[in-house]
Amino acid sequence: MQTQTVKTRKGEWEARLADIKYTLYLMKKNPLVMTGTIIALFFIILAFLANFIVDPKLAYPEGYPNNMYPFERKYMWNANHFINWGPGIALYNGPEFFYLGTDGWGRDLLKMIILAIPVDLYNAAIIVIGAVIFGTLLGAIAGYIGGIFDELILRITDVFFAFPGLVLALVFAAMFGRTLDTLRLAVMLVWWPPYVRLMRGQVLSEKQKPYVEALKALGASGPRILLRHVIPNAIYPILVQATMDFGGAILTFSALMFLGFSPSPALPELGNLCADGYGHIFDAPWVILFPGLTMLIISLAFNLVGDGLRDVLDPRLRR
Amino acid sequence: MNSEKNTEKTILEIRNLKVNFHTYRGEVKALNGVDLKLYRGEVLALVGESGCGKSVTVQTVIGLLPENASVVDGEIIFLGENLLEKSKEEMRSLRANELAIVFQDPMTYLNPVLTIGTQLEEVFALHKNMVKEAALMEKTGKNFKFTEFIGKKNSGSMLVDAKVSRNEIKRAIKKLCVDILKLVKLPDPERILKQYPFELSGGMRQRAMIAMALARRPSIFIADEITTALDVTIQAQILYLLKELKDKISASILIITHDLSVAAEISDRIAVMYGGNVVEVASTRNLFRKPLHPYTQMLLKAIPIITKPKERLESIPGTVPEMINPPTGCRFHPRCKYAMEICTQKRPKLKEVEKGHEVACHLY
Amino acid sequence: MKSLAIYTESESKQNLLVVNGLKVWFPIKSGIFQKTIGYIRAVDGVSFGIEKGKTLGLVGESGSGKTTIARAILRLVKATAGEVYFDGINVLKANKVQMRELRRRMQIIFQDPYASLDPRQTVSSLLREAMIIHGVTKNKYEAYQKSLELLRKVGLDEEHLYRFPHEFSGGQRQRIAIARALVANPDFLILDEPTSFLDVSVQASVLNLLKDLQKDFNLTYLFISHNLAVVHHMSDKIAVMYLGKIVELADKNSIYRNPKHPYTFQLMRAIPVPDPEAKKKIVPLEGDVPSPINIPPGCRFHPRCKYATEKCRKEEPVLLEKNGHMVACHYEIDFSSGKKIGEMSNG
Repeated sequence: MQTQTVKTRKGEWEARLADIKYTLYLMKKNPLVMTGTIIALFFIILAFLANFIVDPKLAYPEGYPNNMYPFERKYMWNANHFINWGPGIALYNGPEFFYLGTDGWGRDLLKMIILAIPVDLYNAAIIVIGAVIFGTLLGAIAGYIGGIFDELILRITDVFFAFPGLVLALVFAAMFGRTLDTLRLAVMLVWWPPYVRLMRGQVLSEKQKPYVEALKALGASGPRILLRHVIPNAIYPILVQATMDFGGAILTFSALMFLGFSPSPALPELGNLCADGYGHIFDAPWVILFPGLTMLIISLAFNLVGDGLRDVLDPRLRR
Repeated sequence: MNSEKNTEKTILEIRNLKVNFHTYRGEVKALNGVDLKLYRGEVLALVGESGCGKSVTVQTVIGLLPENASVVDGEIIFLGENLLEKSKEEMRSLRANELAIVFQDPMTYLNPVLTIGTQLEEVFALHKNMVKEAALMEKTGKNFKFTEFIGKKNSGSMLVDAKVSRNEIKRAIKKLCVDILKLVKLPDPERILKQYPFELSGGMRQRAMIAMALARRPSIFIADEITTALDVTIQAQILYLLKELKDKISASILIITHDLSVAAEISDRIAVMYGGNVVEVASTRNLFRKPLHPYTQMLLKAIPIITKPKERLESIPGTVPEMINPPTGCRFHPRCKYAMEICTQKRPKLKEVEKGHEVACHLY
Repeated sequence: MKSLAIYTESESKQNLLVVNGLKVWFPIKSGIFQKTIGYIRAVDGVSFGIEKGKTLGLVGESGSGKTTIARAILRLVKATAGEVYFDGINVLKANKVQMRELRRRMQIIFQDPYASLDPRQTVSSLLREAMIIHGVTKNKYEAYQKSLELLRKVGLDEEHLYRFPHEFSGGQRQRIAIARALVANPDFLILDEPTSFLDVSVQASVLNLLKDLQKDFNLTYLFISHNLAVVHHMSDKIAVMYLGKIVELADKNSIYRNPKHPYTFQLMRAIPVPDPEAKKKIVPLEGDVPSPINIPPGCRFHPRCKYATEKCRKEEPVLLEKNGHMVACHYEIDFSSGKKIGEMSNG
């Protein structure tokens, strides 16, 4: 008897695996998407390995505590510390070759960018996942139950929509302090409204489909239909949007940092690095150029992946 | 075109057409050597179930195959020329002038943001000579009907230099539009010209599409499952309309349907398709009276007929063949009760067994 | 002649399903305050009964309300008025417990096999879900056995268990839908155009399957279709609907050989017959199929009826019975000669 049940489980898994393989095959066909996927994967792997490749302590010049409040610069900008390509004298290390130059504190820019990647990706991931879960659940409830719930959820969402994103995040951050947690929460607050709308629309259209009616006729309960059937079928555009939003989340988070909301000025984070270079665009353009370029490439990569996913997951184009 | 071609009996001939589709799962051998002849002035019904290749055949004829399809072999001879050798431009011109097609779902094939009138005008705009001639008649105050222009394809070339004003052209086009809508029996044509597709009912939209197809004065009028989505009474109206138009438009009509009853009502000859081949061609009468191919015989037994009620319908054992690895030889052999050794090895070719009655089967 | 707006008590007992004066009206709302400005009278007073083990065919064109009736009976749509009795139980007023039982005993097969199955569920998963919902079994092994049994009953096999709906043809999907409906041993099946999207040969095998199942399990069917030949083949009695009302109800041969309502007569004549020798040729009915938003006054069919009189324009005819044949028309008409030969009246 046991072997029989194992067989049923296996059969189910095999079917789903074949499905996933087909999706991957479709993605391989589009060269742009493949490029995006490769770049995105590269950065993700880099994010995991970053802290092993580069010593994180390099980000903080001698004696600098990492979570110092209130904000204070202990080191003054000094023209001597800007060194571009080539051997140079770092502030606290011996002569070395700086591939991307140094920033105002004499830190190797390349190493800083590498250290910044996990910070950014991790924060963006938390933001997007949080926003998606929250927004999607609300949207699903609004769409499926309708009536008063729908109205209520929509109106609340509208309120959040009305605020320009960054401003709301700034206000929140100003109110609740500048730890990474509060900043993440602030950006999440701004990101969830679009998902409510998206999910609600999807759920509304799935609700009309014959298989939902068939399930109702079978006697399936509302929650069962919603959780096991409607949401899994409606989730595809959300996945696409979430992937594309990944890039956007990095940008927003960096923007916050750029505006000076970072918990510490030495935090290796792409926006923070840009902020440092902002004042010296003309004499040391590389300080803002390279972090900015990195942000651009990451966003673009995820955008392409999202785009490819959308084409691939479109049920009309499949099979 | 020399006059010899114009009096030939066969207006379209498809010879040994083979078309493949490239998909994830493999090569779909959709058409496996289709042979078909369409005679001048007749109504031919192409009948078959889903997957038999009837739509693909027509798509190949008009040159609108999807990206992943390729023609592997065969010829399509229309008015002495092989359509498969034509460029995209030439095919486009043919579609505008000679080959008209009407599809199943008018809602998706009509532009929803343009009025019927605008869409009709677009078609007429492609036929400058006809419009010019009509405008000339308008100018001189002569009365004209659209039906007069059918069959006068090349006569207008001499009038290229004639001077007609824009207004006259406009009025001529409008009159042609109203006329053609009357031809398809749409009530109150002036009003319909100003309406959008969604304002019309299904049957009316279908008539509008037929009108747009006829405006081209085609030599071949193709109707791809045009009554499948319609109610019975509306279907009856459309079929009745087609019967009436048959005589007025001097075109050959190719009707594609899966419904043998529809074919019986309106066609002169019927061609039955299965698994990418034409398996039987005969006059409507003979096909029903004496079906020769085993598939046709079983198909006829599977249809419930009110006048001849049965306790059980005879279904055809087995399933429609999978086109990636189709059966060898005759594609029907796995389901055929008369299957012989040779049926698994060699594909039977269409052979004339009686006058005007062709079958592709090793039994004959 | 009897007016049959309401079934008598004794009649209700013989029939497994009784529908009495069923009305389903959809409100049309407009304006900022969503005021109800009118109603779409999809089903406007329909009564019929189906005996156990028999099949009632419901024919009509789009806008006739036949699909809405199916949904109203199963409470997938809210009925505005009327009653539905299933084996004596008042369906429309049933409580949750009764509803569970009813949902097990009344099932429906939908028209579109391509959309009525969740595209992300394998066959095994959807059969098991039906079992869980109906409380048939939770034991995985038993579920597996039962799934196999059901699949074999509808002509499929073990290899089909772990495939997704899109890997099947239309006919196979309908069989899967039928298998799912049979999970809990229902008594009554509503078949809403089950073969409209299927090929002729596939249709034949699905219809044969349905007939076999009816015999084996003594099932009662409500067969809805616009294809008259198919309905005639499957049903014992046929009801013809037009714009939300039944205009004629009789056993199948009477409907075909001896139609009494002008609409039924036209419907019979509009069917293309696969017999080129047949004498009758299509003579189409003029006009479009009307929509249930603008229902004509008096007899609903009068704008398209050759025999319409002043009375038809003003008074709505009632469904009256004569010798087991029910018709809603003011006149008795002999269609071969085209003459009215009498008036129908109560009494």
